This record gives sequence, structure tokens and C-alpha cells, in this order.
Amino acid sequence: MQNKTRTALIAYAFLAPALILLAVFTFYPVIYGSYLGFTEYKAANFAAGEAPRFIGLQNFINLFQDELFLKGLWNSVKYIAIVPALQIAALAIAVAVNRKLPFMSFFRAAYYIPVITSIATAAVMWDWIFQKEGTLNWVLMGLNFINEKTAFGWLNNEHTAIWALMLVTFWRGFGYYMVLYMGGLQAVPEEVEEAAYLDGATPFQTFWLVIVPMMRPTLLLCSLLSTFAAIRVLDEVVALTPGGGPLNSTYTALMYVYQKAFDGFNFDYGMASAAGLIIAVLGIGLSVVQFRLNKEDRA
Amino acid sequence: MLKKALMVSAALGMGLGFAQQKVEIEFWSWYLSPKFDNYLKDTIKDFEAKNPGITVKWFDKQDTMVQDLIASINLGKAPDVVNLNIPDTFSAAQNGFLTDISTLTPMSELKSQFWDNPLNNFTVNGKPYGYPWYGWLNEGVMVYNSDLVKKAGYTEKTLPKTNDQLLAFAKKVKDRTGQYGWIPNFIDAGGAPLFHGFFYADGLPIYDEKTGKAQFTSSKHVALLKKYVDMYKQGYFPEDMLRKEAFQLSMELYNQGKLASIVGGPQALTRIKDANKDLYGKTKVAEAPLGKSGRATGGGMDLVIPAASKHKKEAAQFAEFLSNNINQMKFAKIVAIVPTSKGAEKDPFFKQESNDPIIQASGMVGASGRFIDPGFNPPKNSSVLYKNLVDNLEAAFLGKKTPKQALDDAAAFWNANVNK
Repeated sequence: MQNKTRTALIAYAFLAPALILLAVFTFYPVIYGSYLGFTEYKAANFAAGEAPRFIGLQNFINLFQDELFLKGLWNSVKYIAIVPALQIAALAIAVAVNRKLPFMSFFRAAYYIPVITSIATAAVMWDWIFQKEGTLNWVLMGLNFINEKTAFGWLNNEHTAIWALMLVTFWRGFGYYMVLYMGGLQAVPEEVEEAAYLDGATPFQTFWLVIVPMMRPTLLLCSLLSTFAAIRVLDEVVALTPGGGPLNSTYTALMYVYQKAFDGFNFDYGMASAAGLIIAVLGIGLSVVQFRLNKEDRA
Repeated sequence: MLKKALMVSAALGMGLGFAQQKVEIEFWSWYLSPKFDNYLKDTIKDFEAKNPGITVKWFDKQDTMVQDLIASINLGKAPDVVNLNIPDTFSAAQNGFLTDISTLTPMSELKSQFWDNPLNNFTVNGKPYGYPWYGWLNEGVMVYNSDLVKKAGYTEKTLPKTNDQLLAFAKKVKDRTGQYGWIPNFIDAGGAPLFHGFFYADGLPIYDEKTGKAQFTSSKHVALLKKYVDMYKQGYFPEDMLRKEAFQLSMELYNQGKLASIVGGPQALTRIKDANKDLYGKTKVAEAPLGKSGRATGGGMDLVIPAASKHKKEAAQFAEFLSNNINQMKFAKIVAIVPTSKGAEKDPFFKQESNDPIIQASGMVGASGRFIDPGFNPPKNSSVLYKNLVDNLEAAFLGKKTPKQALDDAAAFWNANVNK
């Protein structure tokens, strides 16, 4: 056996375990799930042991005629508004805690705590905050922004419920992105910063014109991750507004998928998979846009 | 000759071997562990002693019960006895997941063990799919905070007896104490509508059992919904009632002293006792108010046998044993359930006198198994219909639709989707 072939075989042997796991747990579910989107496969078919029946685009036609799904899709798109706020805050906090000052370790840990807090605990806490007689209204009353008559439950109002949930997502997510940004910041060589200072750049100019461009890969990664997370948000939405909020104002596309796939014995795997495919296509489309924007910026 | 004798003895040996082989059945309960571990372990031990050929492997499932059941069927490892509720039994049976238990236990036996109502609660298209295990009444008792009720000017004798009086009570308590008087049930934990219970309580129909078509658009339905909507808009019910499960919200507010009464089963009392001993000391029970029909609604849990079970005969034996009168009564003595078995109503346990609200409440409702009736069995395609019904009712409460428009829209959607 030639050396080249042997090297290739050894390389594949090392890759094999990972490839097998990927094939079983990622590639196969994606391919089979995509196929199911074009089939009729309801609970009754499943219980009778029948195979999924190919029906072409019928599930997609049904979905685009289903007001509930369209409302969910629109809310998922709306939810993307959280991404810029989350990224700016995470980057700002990362810069703030990435200094050699006293108590910085404490702050880094404190900002990360929401990431590891269980959704059940977080839901109880935020429920107290958002109630009509909750902490948020108490603070707003103290500042004379509202009074007892104008107070309302933030999760019970169709105009505020989704924004209140975005705040929870923001709270849960920014510690995670902060850690990623800290990694990016620490990868920027100190001499580059020093050179900028020596050339007379202000701290803001150094950050904006030197550090930010060098962190492009991290920025792209974080914005892609948070965009996907926003499109497929589910935990906080279900925990705080189980039915989809007032007038379905917090009902997201993934809630629709979840209900079609897992909610009791009336499941419809065909529709759930079709809806899942639409969400995936939306996510991929947004990623392409972000890659393009990133490229244009570089040019 | 010798060959023949050897063959006969080998066959006998094999037969003996098969006869001695134990059958293991798998039983899934729902949200009963760890609180009722002792009861279940003892009952299983008792069953195994009486049925030496069968062993029971018990698992308690919680959040993911239904998903786990579907996954286990898919993997060819279905459990043999599963604890479900009425809505899930209906949708599971409608979609072909369950065994018609009259093929395992003759109808005459089922009828002699259980009251008609609880048995009918698990009967889908004329076939029984579940052994009724235990039940509850939605209008079982009225649990109340005696301090708040007194402050509102009520005495034990003047407490509401009808749903209309209950609405007036809610208004008076709020006006006089600033706290809520009572919260109507709007949605259950699974997001299914509960408000239809008020239609049923007033003797108004929900849907035609034969055609599946909605029947909740009459002027009487509209007027009843409007009464509740008006109260909500005037602030007599908390905003959260549209978002949170009725029982959970009532418990939260009652335990904080912000709610004067809960109409429901004695299970609320156990929660109050666990959460707030002082408040439990002020808590009293009275008979629950009823609607114009005078009927109480209720729910129940059953034991079903999945169609994919490999040991249906043994599963049926165990389900019958667990739900018989002796074992239901043993259960009723440790938690305030309503037994669904015949004979329970005569048990002296329900006739004891006590000042303890739990014992009083158990006495008031415990012997009512024969009256348990949800009033409204889940229709086909229930999850889709229920979501739409809740959305429309919510739109009425939030003032986005008139009560009439909301009911008309829900009925139109219902009729278009009920048989899909």
C-alpha cells in the first residue's frame, strides 16, 4: 500500500466515529425530516403502522393558508429584532469586563449566571417581574411613568408580550455571547492596540477601526448563532405564554412545529416537518444575507 | 418405545418450563412519584403475590408521558398499562393507539366494577378504552378564606349556591376587600378550553356527538359568555386568567391571600396545607355553587392498554386490580380523589365527622364517583379545534370580538375542521 493511501485511510479511520455519529444524529434526521415534509403522516397513519404517503407540496400549501402558522412565522421574524440589541450589549459588556481590574471575575461570572439558569426558575422570576402588580410596574410607578390605573401585565398585553419575552431572551443570552466576544477580544494582539495608540488613535477609534474589524469572524459567528436562536425560540415563550400569548402575539413558528409534532396523540409529522423546513429555509436565507453583508463590508 | 417416552417427557418438561415462565408487564403512572410511591409499591406487591405468574415493572412518567409513549410504540417496546386522562384517552383511541378493553374484560364485569358515568367517560365511539382509576369533580367543593369572605359581608349561610350568585360574590368581594372573589376556569394545563364547562353547567349544548357540528352559538350561549366578559373587563377577574392554567393561578393567588375562594376538588386543600399552614387554618369548605342545570362536571384518570402491548391479558388483570374498589378506596384514604368504583360510596371513610377541611371535603365529594361527567368529550381533531376556540374566547375577553362574533367564528372553524 502506498504511503498516501495509508495516510488517507488512517485519517478516515480517525474521522469515522464522528462521521457515523453525524450521519445517525444529524444527516439522517435532516434528510428524513425533509422528506416527511412532503408526505401525509398523521397519528392515525403512525398507529396503524402505515408508511408516510408522498403528497408533494400539499403540506406547504396548507401551511400558507393557515393563519396560525403565518402569525407564528411573522412573530418569529419579529423576534429577530433582538439580535442587534443582544450583540451590541454582549460586545459592550465583553469590552467592559475584559480588563484587568478588581472584581472583574465576579462580574464575568455574574453575567454568565442567566445562561445556566433553568428556564423553569427563570420563568417564575420573570413572571413576578412582568405581572400587573410585579416588580417592573412597581419601578415604573416609582418613577411616575405609570399609575395604578394604567398598569397592566406585560405578558397579558398583545402589544408588549413579545417584547417582554425578547427581554427574557436578551437576559438569558447575552452572557453566552459575552464569553464568545471575550474570546475574540483576547485573540487581538496587544501590540496592534498599542500601535494604534502610538499613532494617536482615541480609545473609541482603536475599538471601532482596529479591534472590531479584527473580530469580524466572531461577530459573524455570534450574529448567525443569535439569528438562528431567535428564529427557533421556544423555551421562554412556552414557559411564560403557554398558549401563545394574548391574541397569539407570542405564538412563534417553532411553537407551531412543536404542537404539530409533540402535542398529544393528534400529531401530524408531515405538517410539522414542512413547517420545520420553512423555518430552516428562512434561517439559511438570513445567514446568506449576513455572509453577503460581511463580504461587502470587507470590500 | 424408549424414543417415544423420551419425546413425551421432553415435551412435558418444555410445557412445564413455559408454564413457569413469568410474564413481566410494564406499568406507567403519571405524576404520582414520589408522593405515592408507598401506595403504588404496596399495591403492586399485593398484585404480584396474588398473581405469581406476573411481575410488574413500574415507571412514573411526568412531562413527557405522551411523547415517551409514542416513542416506545415506535421502538416496539410499548408499555402494557398506562395511566391517561380523559382528553388523551380520547385522542389516543380516536387515532388507533389503544385496545378496546371490552375485548379483555367482559362488559358485564366492567359494569359491575365501575359506575356508568366514569366508564362512559372513557368510551369512544361506543367502545370502552380505559379502566376508570380515579376522578374528581370540578364543582366538588367551594374552598374559601373565611377572613376575606367575612370582610365581604358573607356568612356560611349566605355563600353562593348558584353560578349567578357566584359572579355576584366575586364582584362584592373585590369591591369590599380589594381582593379577587373567584376565578373562572378558562384553560387547562394542556391549553384546552375549560370555559365550555359553564355552558354545560347551564344546560347548554356544546356540539352534536353524531355529526360533530358545533352547537354553541345560540343567544343563551352568547349571553352567558357576555356576563363573564363584562366581569373581566371591569377588573373582577385577574388578567392572568387568560394566560395561566386555572388551577395554578387560583392556587398562586389564594396562597398569597389575594383570592377568596376556589371552586374545585379537595386537592386544592392539600396544596394550601403544604404551602401556607396559617391560611389553611382560616380555610373552610362549603358546597360548590352549580349552574342552572344543577349538574357538576368532573374529570378522571384511567388505565389504558396500548394496542401495541405484548401482554394484553396480563395487563388487563393488573388494570382491573389497581382500579378495583379496595385499591381505589386505599388511594382515597391517602389523597382526596373521588373513587370511580361501585361500593366506594358506602365506605364509612366518607361519613366521618371532622373539623379538618380536607376530611370534610373528602366526605362531601368522595362518594360522588357515579356523578363524574366531563360534560363535553373531546371531539375528533380536538387540539386544532380547542386552540381555535380558546383564541376566539380570548378575543372576546380582550374586546377584539363581540361574544357573538367570537362564538360564530369558533363554530365556523369547528365545523370546517372537526372531521379532518
